[in-house]
Amino acid sequence: MPSGELAVLEWAGYEIPEMWADFGKDYPDANVMFNFGASDPDIYGKVLAGSSEDIIHLYTPFLNFYVEEGLIEPLDVSRLKNWDKVPQGFKDACTIDGEVYCVPWDWGYSSILYRTDKIPEGVDSWAALFDSKYAGHISMWDDGPSAVSVGSYIKGYDEQNLTDDQLEEIKQMWIDQRDKNLFYWVDEPALEEAISSGDIWAAYGWNGAFYRLLQAGVPVAYADPTEGRNSWIGQYAISSKSDNYDLALAFLDEKLGQETATHLLVDYAYGHPVPEYFSVVEDPLLIQALSLDDPGILERTNFTVPISSADRDRFTEMWAQVKAAP
Amino acid sequence: MLKNRSIASSLLLPSAAWLFLFFILPMIGMVIFSFRPDMRGGPFKLGWLPSITHYQNIFTGDIYLPLLWLSVRVAFSVALFATLLAFPLAYFLVFHAGKRSSLYLTLAILPFWTSFLLRIIAWKTILGSNGLINNLLIYLGLVNEPVRILLYSRLAVVVTLVYVWLPFVALPIYASLLRINPSLLEAAAILGASPWRSFFRVTLPLSLPGVIAGFFMVFIPTVGEYITPILVGGTRGSLYGNIIELYFGDGVNWPLGAALSVVMLVGVLIMALLVSRLVDFRRLVS
Repeated sequence: MPSGELAVLEWAGYEIPEMWADFGKDYPDANVMFNFGASDPDIYGKVLAGSSEDIIHLYTPFLNFYVEEGLIEPLDVSRLKNWDKVPQGFKDACTIDGEVYCVPWDWGYSSILYRTDKIPEGVDSWAALFDSKYAGHISMWDDGPSAVSVGSYIKGYDEQNLTDDQLEEIKQMWIDQRDKNLFYWVDEPALEEAISSGDIWAAYGWNGAFYRLLQAGVPVAYADPTEGRNSWIGQYAISSKSDNYDLALAFLDEKLGQETATHLLVDYAYGHPVPEYFSVVEDPLLIQALSLDDPGILERTNFTVPISSADRDRFTEMWAQVKAAP
Repeated sequence: MLKNRSIASSLLLPSAAWLFLFFILPMIGMVIFSFRPDMRGGPFKLGWLPSITHYQNIFTGDIYLPLLWLSVRVAFSVALFATLLAFPLAYFLVFHAGKRSSLYLTLAILPFWTSFLLRIIAWKTILGSNGLINNLLIYLGLVNEPVRILLYSRLAVVVTLVYVWLPFVALPIYASLLRINPSLLEAAAILGASPWRSFFRVTLPLSLPGVIAGFFMVFIPTVGEYITPILVGGTRGSLYGNIIELYFGDGVNWPLGAALSVVMLVGVLIMALLVSRLVDFRRLVS
């Protein structure tokens, strides 16, 4: 049994032993250390600058940037005992040019989070974020690529092959949206506060916020838009600098174990890729928040697609232009 | 003499080394970085070909320079209002507060024991739609529903920044007023100057070094400000600093961020030089 040291570049909160319970049990002699990053760009910047952790916790759509730069190793999935439990969609999200580069782990939705008392007619389209009826009560996440995704869903464009004209059109949509948008939210607590207080009626939001607002008794719903929700996936990859590939691979494999999954689902209210574990969730609010009672939801969901770093620069520049427009 | 000089320079060494390591070197790094075409290969990659694409982008694009100009104007109004408000405060402390002046001064800078961020967040509870001012306006029957312009606007950015900087401007003005020799004011009075006249001919000119120092202490950092617009600026409150932050942060495009920073730095330097050319500070004081 491999032992030794593993360093993980992680998001705060996932370092607690419950979040890698299966690995801890099976590899008691391994010494796991954690360093932290504050956001995807932060973690990517650290790895790009030479940070040498064995394992990196990243999110779609960043996987492609790591692969482009040769920062992560392809995975030998034949050695993962839990790989077959993972649905194809999640496997695809980890696959680039036929190579698997990551193990999917935490996931959740992005959709429109809205106040049911202020918007009794409900929300069935991403266009709600642009609706003049809710002017002054809308909040978009402060993120260029997500703004491009939303624009593409509404217009029916292919995010991975946007022409300059299409991007220009999406930019204009967001510039026109500014006076209806109260503020771009940066952190979830600020968004949740504004929804609770009634300042915000409709917002781009994640299901974690939806769950916490439900728990707090705020009248909110989470839209199932006709264009489909967006879904993001947290992924674990092995750094090409790692000299402990075998142990790192075992760590990734054990992330798909049942006990770890249970803690993620129940303690943190995030999704786990292995559907057979979902039965452990009994809290009706959590079932609602993750849409676990709706087997078709994932088919109607737009998983965040990989984009090239050239597109990332284009999308960031578009967002800068939206913010700087006179 | 020589010995004294070597003592002086050895005392200077630690701060010089500090500034060199953590200010000059990063600054040089930033300038070099601004000529990199992209981030490929990571920040420490060698052997890339210098390019001026980012500068071309900045100078030919229609967003960056207008936003920089806007940020300069915002910083100017913030510095002006903060100075206008700080002067009477400092004047009161020096000439009218008497024995209590140090107590009042302590009270004025007391909020600075709390973090910058917390004080800005506190403004949200004052300006917000459920905030103090809106509740008061609704209670008084002046408005029917919350006034939203108070928060999430460029106005909110200016109001918050003036509040944040006010004591910083008051301190140098306070110090320069304190240094005024009272016998000069007496002399002015004896020679028949009215209080207003002696204020404009004696007090104000002698306090100008403090006033100008205070003004620029606010103006220069405010040009690159980005936290306050994020927290209270809403969708139309963004300043030039927010775009720099966007490229260094979420955009992972450090070369463009660096080029934007260099342009801002040079722009502010040129402005400072122009001002010091136009206004001869030494003549103002003497």
